[in-house]
Parts: sequence; structure tokens; C-alpha cells
Amino acid sequence: MTSSPLPLLTPLGSAGTAVEEDTEEALASAVADPWVTIVWNDPVNLMSYVTYVFESYFGYPRAKAEQLMTQVHKNGRAVVSSGGRERMEVDVQAMHGFGLWATLQESGARGAA
Amino acid sequence: MTPFRAMRRGYEARFEPVERVVLAKVARDVSAMLREEAGLDLFSDGGEPGPSSHHAPGKGQAWANGLLAPDELTDADLARLTGVTGVGRIPTDPAARRLLPDASKDDTDIADEFRRLTQNDVAQAKVDRLEAFAALLDLPSGDDAPSTVGRHGAPPPVRVPREDAEQFAGALTDVRLVIAERLGLKTDDQVMHLTDEIMWDRQAGREIPVATDGRAARRFWSGVFVAAGYAQETLMDVMLAELRGKRPLA
Repeated sequence: MTSSPLPLLTPLGSAGTAVEEDTEEALASAVADPWVTIVWNDPVNLMSYVTYVFESYFGYPRAKAEQLMTQVHKNGRAVVSSGGRERMEVDVQAMHGFGLWATLQESGARGAA
Repeated sequence: MTPFRAMRRGYEARFEPVERVVLAKVARDVSAMLREEAGLDLFSDGGEPGPSSHHAPGKGQAWANGLLAPDELTDADLARLTGVTGVGRIPTDPAARRLLPDASKDDTDIADEFRRLTQNDVAQAKVDRLEAFAALLDLPSGDDAPSTVGRHGAPPPVRVPREDAEQFAGALTDVRLVIAERLGLKTDDQVMHLTDEIMWDRQAGREIPVATDGRAARRFWSGVFVAAGYAQETLMDVMLAELRGKRPLA
């Protein structure tokens, strides 16, 4: 992910947003839900756009959306939703529609981390 | 190009005529590429269901009462016969693969099934919004077109109605993803350096060269990539502000 193309625009997430939740922990905490949707970092999508998608599509509050965006940016990926497989397929399809690269997998699957 | 601003009738920015023409052109090119790569035309001919295209003698013989053997049916045939979406063609172009990515990194069964379920719909939605994006950027033309010069001598702004803004931003994303793939941009650092370079040139007043050779073409497309990013970033600023204004802060 990249930030704004113009230096005059305020970079997002520069206020020390902590990456509190690692992907592995998120996966572990999602065991009640059998499947997860993971969004992967890419060099093209803007931080603001990714944040917008997390807020508008998932309805996440700003703080959570920015935290997930930062996690994608810094860790290369983040678990953005969990639930049944069909629900995750809907989420992954929506992410692809937005132009984000997303995958689904079983939350306890080997290689998930 | 000026930043997008929230106005009563939508989000507005001023684009140079060349910016409108180039972005509309590239959006239509991406649309055509995606249509071809995803095999969308296999679904939209609206004509004869399946069998007609499989009349090779000795192969694809009628199996029973004019039915094809099951292994003669393509996904497109099945889609036409059943109305179920599917996969016309699995894209091979890396840029198309980026727009229609695998839904699993290591499980081909999951990826294949997901593609079968969704690719046609995702690709068609992208094609539709790229075409709408291009149409919105088209400059008025023809004898009955209103003047391209606005009240104060400036061209009319690009106005994105609020209900279309997400689609407009999505089309900008697809355009940027394809240009980045063509330019071989793989890392955040590469994109940042390229952006700095283009912005530096712009501040120094250097014109974007007309693409006459490989290097100039690269510079030209880099400029288009950065311009599309600027449009998207400023559009996101106003869209996020309005989205957040609609609900209490967490």
C-alpha cells in the first residue's frame, strides 16, 4: 500500500497507530468461526482507500479500520472478517470488486500463519 | 487536476482535457482487456445455447438426442443452459489476474471453485464501471454539445454523483492496478520513488513527453498512474469525511 501521491496531503496512520493484534492471534481468536477472510498488501492501493473499504463495506469504526489497514501495510496481511465459508466467499468477492487482493481459508488451517 | 471537493451535487474536480481523454481511453482499454481475458463475450452473445459451437465431425458427436457428451460442455455452455454464472476463460494476463485474483494462495480447489462461482460477476461489474467511468470523463462533443468552456472560461469540472463515487473510485483502482502491472511496480518503495520522481518533474515544470519511444512511454504511463492516484486520494479524503460524518466516532 502507498499513501497519498502528494506531499501536501497528510499521511495517514502516522500518529503511531499500534498494531495490537497480530494475524496469528487474530486467527486464534477466530476459532469459533471456521473461516476467515485475509486481505494482502499490494503496492498500489492507497491507505485511504483501503481504510474506506474497511469502514464502508464492513462497517468497522474508524479506529478498527485504520488498525487493520496498518496491519495489512506493515505485516503484509490482516484477517478482516470471520464466519462461515459462504459468508467469507461473499466478503472475498466484495474485496476483489474493490480491487483488494483477498483470500479465504479455514481459520485453523495449517499454513494460515 | 485539482483535488476533489464535496459539492451539493456530488464530488467535483477540474481535470485538464488531456487528463480526461487519457484516463477515459485507458479505462476503455482495461475494460476491453478484462472482457477478453475473462471470456465475458462467451456469455453475452445471447444466441444459441451450447451445442452449435461444437460441430466438429468425429468429435463432439451428439451423445444422445442431440445432447453433448458431458465432457464436451464448457463452463460457458453450462452457464447459458443453466443461467448460472461461471468462468468463460481463466485469465492469463498478469494484469487481469490481479483484477481477478486467486481466492486461495495454496488451495487450488478453493481458488477454482471461487473463480467458478464469482469470476463472471466480478469481471462484468468491473467492465461496467470502467465504461461508466470513461463516459463520465468524456468531453462533450458534436454540434449540439454544450460549450466545453464554463462560465469563467475554464472547462467544466468532472462531477461524480455521490451514488456513483464508489464505482468511480473502484475504476480508478483497476486502472492503477493494470498500469502498475505493466510498469512492473512490485513494491511500496518502487511506487513511492516513482511518485516522487513524477511530482518532482511536475514541480520543476517539466512536461510529460509524448510517447515516442519506450522510455518516454514509461514516463507517460507513470504520469497517468500518479494522476489517477491523486484523483483517488483526494476523492477518498472527501468520501471518508462524509462517511465518518454520518456516524459517531468510535
